[in-house]
Amino acid sequence: MTALAVKLLWRSWRSGALQLVAGALVLAVAVVTSVALLADRVQLALTEQSATFLAADLVVRGPQSPPQQWQQWSAQQQLRSSRTASFNSMVYAGEEMHLAAVKAVDSGYPLRGEVVVSQQPFSQLASDWQPRQSGPEPGQVWVDARLLPLLNVEIGDTIELGATQLQISQVVVTEPDRGGSFSLFGARVLMHYQDLGAAAVIQPGSRVNYRFLVAGEAAAVAAFNDRVATDLAQRQDQHWQVITPDGAEASIADTVDRGRKFLLLAGSVGVILAGVALALASRQFADGQLAQVALLKCWGLRAAQIRRFYTVQIALLALLGTALGLLAGWLFHSLLLAAVADFLPAQLPPPGPRPWLIGLATGVLTLIGFALPALWHLPALSALAVLRAEIKGQPLTWLARVALALAITLVLLYSYSGSAWITVGMVVTLALLALLIGSLALLMLWALRRAGNRSGGVWRMATANLWRQRLQSQLQMLGFAAAIALLLVMTVVRGSLIEEWRWQLADDAPNHFLVNVAPYEIAPVNALLAERNLVAGDWFSMVRGRLIEINGAPPPADLKERHESLNRELNLSWSATLPENNQLVAGEWWSQQPLAAEAPVPMSIEVELAAELGLVLGDRVTFSLGGLRFEAELVNTRALRWESMTPNFYFLFPEGVLEEFPRSGITSLHIPAAEKRVINDLLRRYPTIVAIELDKVIAQIQSVVNQVTQGLQLMTAMILLCGVLILYAGVALSMPLRQQQSALLRTLGSSRGRVLRLQTIEFALLGAVAGTVAALAAELSLAIIVRQLFDGAAQIHPWLWLLGPVGGALVVALLGVSYSARSVGVPPLQLLRQLP
Amino acid sequence: MTILQAEQLTKQVSVSGRPLQILDDVNLTLQRGDSLAIVGASGSGKSTLLGLLAGLDLPSSGRVTLAGEALSTLDEDRRAALRERYVGFVFQSFQLLPSLTALENVALPLELRGTANAERLAADFLQRVGLDQRLHHYPRQLSGGEQQRVALARAFACAPQILFADEPTGNLDTVTGTAVHELLFALNQEQGTTLVLVTHEQSLAARCEKTLTLAAGRVVA
Repeated sequence: MTALAVKLLWRSWRSGALQLVAGALVLAVAVVTSVALLADRVQLALTEQSATFLAADLVVRGPQSPPQQWQQWSAQQQLRSSRTASFNSMVYAGEEMHLAAVKAVDSGYPLRGEVVVSQQPFSQLASDWQPRQSGPEPGQVWVDARLLPLLNVEIGDTIELGATQLQISQVVVTEPDRGGSFSLFGARVLMHYQDLGAAAVIQPGSRVNYRFLVAGEAAAVAAFNDRVATDLAQRQDQHWQVITPDGAEASIADTVDRGRKFLLLAGSVGVILAGVALALASRQFADGQLAQVALLKCWGLRAAQIRRFYTVQIALLALLGTALGLLAGWLFHSLLLAAVADFLPAQLPPPGPRPWLIGLATGVLTLIGFALPALWHLPALSALAVLRAEIKGQPLTWLARVALALAITLVLLYSYSGSAWITVGMVVTLALLALLIGSLALLMLWALRRAGNRSGGVWRMATANLWRQRLQSQLQMLGFAAAIALLLVMTVVRGSLIEEWRWQLADDAPNHFLVNVAPYEIAPVNALLAERNLVAGDWFSMVRGRLIEINGAPPPADLKERHESLNRELNLSWSATLPENNQLVAGEWWSQQPLAAEAPVPMSIEVELAAELGLVLGDRVTFSLGGLRFEAELVNTRALRWESMTPNFYFLFPEGVLEEFPRSGITSLHIPAAEKRVINDLLRRYPTIVAIELDKVIAQIQSVVNQVTQGLQLMTAMILLCGVLILYAGVALSMPLRQQQSALLRTLGSSRGRVLRLQTIEFALLGAVAGTVAALAAELSLAIIVRQLFDGAAQIHPWLWLLGPVGGALVVALLGVSYSARSVGVPPLQLLRQLP
Repeated sequence: MTILQAEQLTKQVSVSGRPLQILDDVNLTLQRGDSLAIVGASGSGKSTLLGLLAGLDLPSSGRVTLAGEALSTLDEDRRAALRERYVGFVFQSFQLLPSLTALENVALPLELRGTANAERLAADFLQRVGLDQRLHHYPRQLSGGEQQRVALARAFACAPQILFADEPTGNLDTVTGTAVHELLFALNQEQGTTLVLVTHEQSLAARCEKTLTLAAGRVVA
């Protein structure tokens, strides 16, 4: 029986009956595999890229020198390791001094990424920059260019740091783990770890941020991480924090995460399109099998034998189709990589096993979910069908088929994305599509039929054909509309993503912060900026204070040890209205009315900080502001958009309660590279002002975004191609009936041109209706996706309503006619004879 | 020796909730090697009777005994096993599988039975029906008469003890139909097969030893 099943499978293949099914399967596996391979490798590259922001694969950060055994543990795991220590210290050169942000690094630093140095201070020319895989030699320092005018020194001069003298040998352009941390108040001084002892700047009680860096094989890094975590837990030491590339920087992590979500969305679209193709192709294959099954039963084959017969065929098909699909997926992904070689890192890491497993699972599961339901009823077909053509068996109910397809889609999407939200979002979209197509398409077909009756001629025939075969038309529209809708969604989502990045990283996006500006300094600072044609953003006032009590009691000791915000001064600000880029999470924003004399002062806290401090609405928090107690009640929590590159505050109060305390101003502004020296002028004139430079961080983010965007554009193109192939499969499926009609019409005297015109109108109407429904479905899906994935507001996209119907009509008509034109040229008799 | 017997056979179906009598009290007995023509107007129940006699369907009441086995006491699988052992079919619409060549169509039931050298045996039968030059042609490349000759070769290749033929020449012109009749009876005689055929054609019915005429589901002659 197995041998015969294999033989018949080959015969079905040879006759072309199986090629569409096999083609759809190979396509499904190839698309999913290539997307998964590409996504996996880009994801790994992004993680590696993120690792360069950490200068390591994993960092353990704390206030003490890292324990010696960590060095041994990392060596046992064959990991490379390094140590750094960051602190603020005064540096001197003659009469000049500056509170610098010092970082001492050992010879292993950086483990990932590179330090870029230059002999030309302030040069923006890449040709002047030199990448280094190490830090300064002992006895030397590398410094920010802006330190040179501040201390009135040049490269080659020496500066004093504590008890030692160090020679400036390079200007630092970028360092991998510089990040956008607000602790970077002073100019950077990079020194060797070995010089720390001689400098003697670190004393008991000094505030030092120590980091222990490791890099190596992922499994070894994970093992080291586990060991450190266990050790810290056993010692109940809460001073150390483990940082992974994903959590390295909030804004960079967000960017990487959005990129990953888009890649997965692209893959999910591929899965669904492939499923639709397979379902259509399997239905046609199953129809063709009815006669064979009836004959087999006539000849004495039992239902169980026939079930086994088809099980063997499906298993073989799954095996061969999946293997071929995996191979095609690899080739396709290689082609894609070759096409974008200039935009991706030179050496993409090899893929892990996951993409292959995803491809394999896709092959097997799509066959089970989309092909098997179409064949399920065959073994139960009555042998009487050989005598009565009208007996077609009892296919699985519509509900059962949809339920099975949905279940498999859920499994596939979840295994592919690992995200329950994307999975549910896509399935909801699919369900909405099915509902919409079922009702709207029928309604539109009815309207077309009515309109066609009045038009007469080929229009009448075309609309009558569509109406007469309305069930088949609806099925066609399901495929067309799903493909069109998904392509529209992809286009908009991709656009939204890129737009969001562009907005975030626009050429004139703020790239510097000015902090600690006294109220009387704001006007002259604005004037100085205006002289250079620079404009500061909005100025925000802030008061520095320490959080000393929660609900009348000091914070618990363990919380205080764990949370650095309880050990330093906090920035408190005020606003009458909810600031832009802030979103209220709980509670209500305060009214504009003046506060009652006895009423508690309302307060707003960033939602994550509130949770970390265990604060809930109604809690009272006491601050110490310059030695004065100040109590407030938590009335609302906010989510902040950190990537907005504008000042954000953890603590906000209404106007009129903090103004009496000593305050300073903060603003953000864009300073072009050519105007960078303005910072030196500012700092010389107003030494207490702190300038935070984010331009280098933004440049790093931009390089990642550019690479990812190019990859996404190609991936979208691939999904578009996939959608076109699905449309083609749909058109091909309807061809036997259309050919039969064509043969009859030509036999009855219609010209080839007329038959062609008739088919063009039919296909165009089919595509236009599907496109209209698809536009509606896309709008609904986008409303959900944009809101949930991109935190954006739902909006109408008018161009969808034009592109959907017009694009649908053009594409489907083009595909349909290009396919059917061949059959119109064949003599009617030959055509009739070929038909079943 | 009796190979097929029908006793008080009735078939009733429900159409729009109302019972419709298709066959009513049909009785017949066939000995091995007999030939029977079932004739009657369209809708008289000929094909339904053929389906019941061949075990493709079950009667509403009455009893069919094929090769000594009462069909109504057997489940679908055991009826299928009985068909595999004793029964062959020829259909009006030929029922050739379009994806298989003439040779493969004839070989398929032999392969199902695990017959050794199925393709060689199939080629022999195709030669006997005059299609040795058309072995590797697909059904769409054959004329109607040729397709029915392939169907005859397929039916007789399995050496059935009883052959059911439903309007075997209904889709063929007179000349081709006559040629197919000749072949059908020649093979029948050669193999000693019992023949049950449904036909409209009096000339074909006249060549059978027995005739059963149906009108509105009842035997009238």
